Amino acid sequence: MPHYPEGTVRALLETDLVTPATRAALEARLTAPTTYEPQFFDADTYRLLQAVAARIFPQPDRETPIALAPGVDARLLRGDADGWRYDSMPPDREAYRLGLGGINQAAEAKFQQPFTKLDEAQQDSIIELLAAAEAPGENWSQLPQDRFFEEMLAELTETYYAHPLAQEEIGYVGMADVPGWQRIGLGELEPREPEEVK
Amino acid sequence: MPDEETLEESTLTPTQPEIQDPLLREILEENALQADPSQNTLEQPAPLPDPDEIVDCLVIGTGAGGAPLLARLAQAGLRVVALEAGARHDPKTEFATDEKAQNFLFWNDERLSAGQNPVAFGKNNSGIGYGGSTLHYTAYTPRAHRGDLTLHTEFGQGVDWPFGIEELEPYYEELEHFMGISGPTPYPWDPGRRKGYPLAPLPLNGAAQLMERACAKLGIKTSPAANAALSARYYQEGVGWREACTNRGFCQAGCSTGAKASMDVTFLPLAEQYGAEIRLGAYVTEIERDATGQVTAVVYEQDGRTVRQRCRNLFLCAGAIETPRLLLLNELALNSGQVGKHFMAHVGMQVWGTFPEDIRPYKGIPGGLISEDTHRPKDADFVGGYLLQSIGVMPVTFATQMVRQRKLWGQPLRDYMRDYNHIAGINVLGDCLPHADNFVELSAEKDARGVSKPRVHFTAQENEQRMNRHAERIMRQIWEAAGAKDIWAFERYAHIIGTARMGTSASEAVVDPNGRAFDVPNLYICDNSVFPSALSVNPALTIMALSLRTADKFLLQRKAAG
Repeated sequence: MPHYPEGTVRALLETDLVTPATRAALEARLTAPTTYEPQFFDADTYRLLQAVAARIFPQPDRETPIALAPGVDARLLRGDADGWRYDSMPPDREAYRLGLGGINQAAEAKFQQPFTKLDEAQQDSIIELLAAAEAPGENWSQLPQDRFFEEMLAELTETYYAHPLAQEEIGYVGMADVPGWQRIGLGELEPREPEEVK
Repeated sequence: MPDEETLEESTLTPTQPEIQDPLLREILEENALQADPSQNTLEQPAPLPDPDEIVDCLVIGTGAGGAPLLARLAQAGLRVVALEAGARHDPKTEFATDEKAQNFLFWNDERLSAGQNPVAFGKNNSGIGYGGSTLHYTAYTPRAHRGDLTLHTEFGQGVDWPFGIEELEPYYEELEHFMGISGPTPYPWDPGRRKGYPLAPLPLNGAAQLMERACAKLGIKTSPAANAALSARYYQEGVGWREACTNRGFCQAGCSTGAKASMDVTFLPLAEQYGAEIRLGAYVTEIERDATGQVTAVVYEQDGRTVRQRCRNLFLCAGAIETPRLLLLNELALNSGQVGKHFMAHVGMQVWGTFPEDIRPYKGIPGGLISEDTHRPKDADFVGGYLLQSIGVMPVTFATQMVRQRKLWGQPLRDYMRDYNHIAGINVLGDCLPHADNFVELSAEKDARGVSKPRVHFTAQENEQRMNRHAERIMRQIWEAAGAKDIWAFERYAHIIGTARMGTSASEAVVDPNGRAFDVPNLYICDNSVFPSALSVNPALTIMALSLRTADKFLLQRKAAG
């Protein structure tokens, strides 16, 4: 599995290979405050969301992990939609309340403790049940858990890979497009595209 | 207009754009006799509409359905106004090369997706803003085939269009040359065309090369695809020079260079040059009629105000969800019972694989290579056909779609995505038969404006499932032959089609073959909603062709009426 050097995107953001609009979007994520006060979720539910996000995107390699929960909280507060939702799902705010509550119900049913009190292996076993649509809990009678898992997973994934550090991780430098790309065929790299670390 | 010397020899761009449509030429000549110098409204602040003014033509929507006819009607000297729900952006300064930051290009009002194969909207389908969904279309512009319009004749299933391909061909030619489409000449699956593409094809990226290589082994013919992005600079009337594509690969999240022929850099500036007025941030809520059933005015919300604009004719070009939604909300043109019915979405199965080669899938036009050998496969057990195309992809789009299908999470998710630069895809775009179970309706749930959200029912039927199986088998063969590992398929349905079908009978269709509503003589509908069948190709070019044709039919009829 390829690895790329650190710092590639951050270095490119300092150059004129990136447009001002692109730089503004990416730097806002890089420099987002490390503390975030939830405004939509109550403190306990927000900690639960953070704990779930930490298992879906474990980041033991980062001193400061890319924060994924603030984006969900801020979006639900604004009431933003992304153009559609499954008809079988309740509105997004309700879905997150029910879904996170359902995760806790599953944790209680399996381990007699809330999700945030479980160790990582126990937490992973709950997420596994959720992903397989087999998690216990009364909330799931009001919320299809496969759809909830899919929606939450997609939202966290969007936030994660939109972050410059995640883009460094996968060797993506498409944002540095001011001069365009001339070498676009197989195996053809331009000098600003990072080589894999062998 | 630039100097003659600056014209590049490699382009076939005429310095004086030729008006190809005979009717329009005639009208322009007549208008020149009584030229009005005060017509140019460019650079003037938008005035509040005069409440008493009755405009000749009011157009709802500025995408592929609305923009071409807006330009055509303005060129004919009519007083035309377009209402666009979104804003106008300067792509050069405002478009970021960042998928998340570009979400403002999508129609993000919530739609409820029902059925066994709920259709994704937002970044997938509809757009908002000066140019509509062409702001984020992939610019893939194959022509429909003759047989796409005669499915019922050929197979005894599906629906025929009320006219043949020869009705569309002159418009395809005009559009390809007006917008500067890059593509192969002769076209391998339609070599007898009267006119070739004006520009050479765009260069192939890694995904396209992999597909080309594997298809050659398997005996599948391929070609660089036709794309509405410039392979060389091109002169655009009403705009000036548009520069060649820089291979940013970002078509689906907004072209910042003007190389992609979205409506904002082609028909809309042309329309404005001829005096069309485009009102932005104008969200239509009501369509008013008189006692005879004729449309008299449209009511819209703009900057917190409610505005009424009177009109002699209305052109509804809001796409296959918002168009039927407006008709249903206003109880308009409902006599045939077909509004909202027969919603179709293209079979759009994708197959992805991981390769040893360094691909960097963010570079180059996403749909670089095409094969239409599968238009009528010999071993088909289904009606219709499909095309094959290579696909490049941006990381956020790829990752979110991949997790929806594969449900990867935790370390396996991060590990898989580390291979992003080694991943390439192929997808198909195939016909979809109209079916009574697939439709758009108004739900009881209201949006922030207090308007009923649309609910869209879609279930892939037997024919679509058979096509999916055939397509997945072929794509897996191609990717295996190309050397891919970890091959996986993603069943998806793309493009929104049908819901206000065109036909010859008022009891079976919403609009007549000219696009005019059977029930409402001064209402025209022009977008993907009028398609009687889905076609086996991407719809944008055909929507534009219908748009020009609808304008010409309207002008002819108006002329005949004196």
